[in-house]
Parts: sequence; structure tokens; C-alpha cells
Amino acid sequence: MNILRWWSGLLLAFALVALVRAFFPLPFANEIMIFSIYTIGCNFLLGRVGFISFGQPAYLAVGAYAAAFYFYYFGTNPYLGILIGIGAGILVSVAVGPMFVRLRSDYFALVNLALAVIVFYLMQKVLADITHGDNGLWFLTNLSPTPVLDLTRPDQFFIFAFLVGFVVWAFYKYLDDSIYGACCLGAKINDDKLRFLGYDNYHIRLLAFVIANTTTAMAGAMYAVYLGFVSPEITSPSRAADPVVVTILGGVGSLYGPLVGSIAYTGMKDVLSKLIGNWELIIGFVLVFIMLAGEKGIWGTMEPLFTKLFLRAWPAGTLSENKGGGR
Amino acid sequence: MIDVQLLLTGVIFGLSLGSIFFLMVVGLSLCFGLMRVISLDQLLYYSVGAYIAYSVSLTIGNLWLGVLAGMVVGGVAGLVVERVVFKRIYERDITFSMITSFGILIGGVGIIKHFWGLVPRPVPVPIAAQIGIIGTEIPVYRLVVIAIALFVYFGIWLFLNKTIIGKAIRAGIEDVEHVEGLGINVYRLFSITFIMAGALSALAGGLHAPLIMVDPQMGLEVLAFAFMIVIIGGLGSIKGTFVSSFLVGQVVSIGSLIYAPLAQMVPFAIMILILLLKPTGLYGSPLLKR
Repeated sequence: MNILRWWSGLLLAFALVALVRAFFPLPFANEIMIFSIYTIGCNFLLGRVGFISFGQPAYLAVGAYAAAFYFYYFGTNPYLGILIGIGAGILVSVAVGPMFVRLRSDYFALVNLALAVIVFYLMQKVLADITHGDNGLWFLTNLSPTPVLDLTRPDQFFIFAFLVGFVVWAFYKYLDDSIYGACCLGAKINDDKLRFLGYDNYHIRLLAFVIANTTTAMAGAMYAVYLGFVSPEITSPSRAADPVVVTILGGVGSLYGPLVGSIAYTGMKDVLSKLIGNWELIIGFVLVFIMLAGEKGIWGTMEPLFTKLFLRAWPAGTLSENKGGGR
Repeated sequence: MIDVQLLLTGVIFGLSLGSIFFLMVVGLSLCFGLMRVISLDQLLYYSVGAYIAYSVSLTIGNLWLGVLAGMVVGGVAGLVVERVVFKRIYERDITFSMITSFGILIGGVGIIKHFWGLVPRPVPVPIAAQIGIIGTEIPVYRLVVIAIALFVYFGIWLFLNKTIIGKAIRAGIEDVEHVEGLGINVYRLFSITFIMAGALSALAGGLHAPLIMVDPQMGLEVLAFAFMIVIIGGLGSIKGTFVSSFLVGQVVSIGSLIYAPLAQMVPFAIMILILLLKPTGLYGSPLLKR
């Protein structure tokens, strides 16, 4: 029964995502799947560890370009490409992590953004011989069909992204429930006290940093496979805040916030850009409004209602693990 | 080897770029020093200043009036945003103000797109004359920009050191609670700082407009540079902002003479280096918690 309860929220959430797939066009569903995987890393950093990361696109680009280089120059297997993207994500975040996680949260945001800019110019100008600059790398025809789930076909790609998303969410739910997740929250709220309890702040933060950015790099590799091309545009500074915006929109630190946020954000972008042309206006003011209204976001506001509606029969206290987000 | 004339042009270019960076970032730095908020919306006033300068110089034909009008609009916008938004979040975490002001920034970019459209617009240079220095033709406008920035720097210095309001602001940067204890209305100081910051950012935008094309994304494009200058100089230090603006201006300008992609990357490398050696920036004081 306990195990069932643990999985029930996840299953319910992903059943709803499957519904999105049934009612909305395929590109939209694929976009939200990848985007929510992209965002959950940022959500974890911001909500659990207290790092606001304006540099998430840097890691997205690392994953995407690692996969792109593989497809363009070496091989054809999409699964291997995604693995290479994940590997590159781990490498880069382990390399820069020790420098970055020592910084205070606001400086961390600035330095991380600077990294995104460096990666942008690296890909756009400095390595233009390999990356073809602004034209990007096009390798859609290089991808070879794979058995079981054929990632070159968008409908099967969705199933893959769906499964990956499910695994990622289960992993993050496990993290949130574990002692490590509690330590992260402690590092966010009161690091002195955490040190007093005998935990090492630095290593907790470093591990969180690596986990979150590897997830983001994986999303980047998935973008590369799905779109079949990569250009420096994905790490451009003007898009640096997308994951932060989505995190806030969905609800900081809540497990399902990124899913809800990605659906809302992508939906708004699609619907509003047809209606009025400049959807930034709405996004910007929605962001300000949410921040002033208490930083809870869409899911943070809905969650108590959901808990009441669906889970009334179960004893109290089992679903209170997401309360750490709002401050 | 780079010849002297090219180098001189590069230095002047870098100085004028540094001047504009300084005017743009000084507001951000002041807001951080006094109120402990990161006010990214300064970059919105920068774009607004540029657009007002564009519109006014198109209708009246005088850029300087446009720059003045932009400063007024920037100051008023700063005041309104401070009264409506920042007033509610002073006591919150610093990341909070960062996200909120970023929301204002992208919302404002949306407004600019609504009014002026997406197309980049050129702005005519008000002073077309050039003067020769050691055989190099230097546009006078760039020298004027540098002069304005120096003037503003000394103006701020005089304001902070010689007037009572400025002294109160400086004391507030050290310790807000004591200033409040002396019976000074700190919230009025905050408003004054925001008006100043908004007006200066708008001034930067207005002066930058003839040197580049005015486009809706211009605020977001300089965002990274603004961050970088603030970090190198140290958040909250006017002197640090001044030094690091000119440093970055020179690096961008001279770097692009040597190898173009370098110009964009080296400043960031410098920033990361400085942060690792001295996490508070060149002139930043260790953070005081309010």
C-alpha cells in the first residue's frame, strides 16, 4: 500500500500528460515533455538548493552540441547520442561546479548566466569551423532508425520522452523524499545549522548542481534528436530566463511544478503569439504577479485543492513533502 | 603589429562604450548598495530611453531633447515601478527581486514591441563632425559621450558627498537601520535612488542609440554585460562600477581589433577569474545583511 501511495501521484500526473498528448498536436506534446525535463533541473536548484540559475541554457547547449557533434561527424544511433549528451553534461558540470557552488546565490546566478554567454559565443563564433556558427548543424538525415522505439519518428519519440520523463520524475521524487533532499533544503534555508548537524554543505550543493545540470544536458540531447538540428540560438542570452520563468510559473520547488509550468508556458506561447504577437508582455507580468502573490505558482496554488479532492481518504502528512518551496 | 591610429580609434571607441556601460550599470549598482535589490528593470529604462530618443529625434529633429525626454520617462518609470512593485519586496530574499525585476524587464520589452514594432531603427548621429588627433579621425560624438559620463560620475560623487540627501544615501548603504533611527525617511531615499537610477539608465540608452540600431531586444542583449560589470566592480560600489565599465569597454574594443570573437568572451573570462580570486569584486565590500 505504501509503495502504491508513493507512485500514485506520479502515475496520476503522467496519465494527465498522456491526456495532453491525446488532445493536443504532437509537436506541442513533444515540446512540453522536453521542456519540462529541461526545467526540472532548474526547479530543483531553485526550490531545493536555493540557487537561482539563469545559466541553464549553457548546459542545455552542452548536451545538445555533444549529441550534435556525434550525429554530424561520427555516428547515427540516437540512443547513443543522448547518452553522449548526458556524459558531456556530467563532465562540464563536474568541471565548473566546484568553482560555482562556493558562490552566494545572487553571484551564482550572474556567473551562471555568464557561462551561458560564453558557451553562446563559443558555439557561434570561436568554434564556427566545427559548429557552422549561426547556421547550426543539420543532421536529421544522419539519424538511423532504431528498433523497438524509433526515435526518428515524432510519435514514437513522444513515447520515449514520456518514459524518460517518468523516470526522471520518479528519480526527483525519490531525491525529494530522501535524507539527501532534506539536506538540500537545509542548505537552502539555514546552512549554518546544517553544518552544525555534521553535513558538508559544499558536497551537497555540488551533487545537486551536477544532478540538475545533467538532467538539463539530457534535455538538450533530446532536443537535438527531436529537432534534428542544433544552432547557438538555444543558448542565446535572451532566452536564458525561460527555465526560471517556467519554474516560477509552475511553482518553485514543487515536484509537478515544471510539468504544469511547461504546459502553461508553451501553451501561452503558442496561443498568445497567434493572438497578439508579443507574448512576452503577458509572460512578464504574469511572472511579476506570481512573485507578488506569494511565489507559489500555478501548481503551488492548485496542489492543496488536488490533495483534498483526490486523496481525501488517505491519512494526513504523507503528501506534505512539497511545502518547502514557498518562503 | 597594430598601428597607432587603429589603436587610438580603438581606445576612444572603448572609452565611449565604457561610458555608456557606466551610465547603464550605475543605477543597478546604487539600487543594490542601498536597497539590496537586484534591479534588472534598469535595462528596460535603457531601452525605453533609446526609443524615446529615437521618436523625439524623429519628430523634432533634436536628439538631445530626446535624451532629456527619455531621462524624464525613465525616472518616472523607475518611480512607478518602485512604488508599485519594489516597495512590497524590499524585505524579501535577493533572488526574489532578481526574478521579479526580470519579469518587469521582459514585460516591458513586450510593451516596447507593441508600440515600436520589431524592426531595428537607425538613429542619426547628432554631431557628425570629426576631429583629427595624431592623424586619426575621431567622431566628436563619442568624445561628447565620454565627457557626459565623466560629468555624471563627478555629479554623483558630489551628490553623495556634499548634499545631505546624498550623505543619507551613503549612510544607508552602510546601515539602513541606523539611518532610520536618526529619523530619516529611508523609503523616500529609496524612491530618490530609483528615480536617479532610472534616469541614468535612460540617459545611457539615449546616448547609445545613435551608435547602434535601436531594437526591442537591446536591453536583453546588454544584460550579460551589465551583470559582468557589476560583478567585476563589486555590487554597490560606484567607483568599482566606474573602473570596471571602462575596463570592459576597453577589453571589448581592443579585443575586437585583435580577434573579433575574443571581444565577447574575454570579459567573461576576466569576470570568472576575478570572482574566484576575490568573490566580492574589485571594490565590493563584504555583504552586510539588512
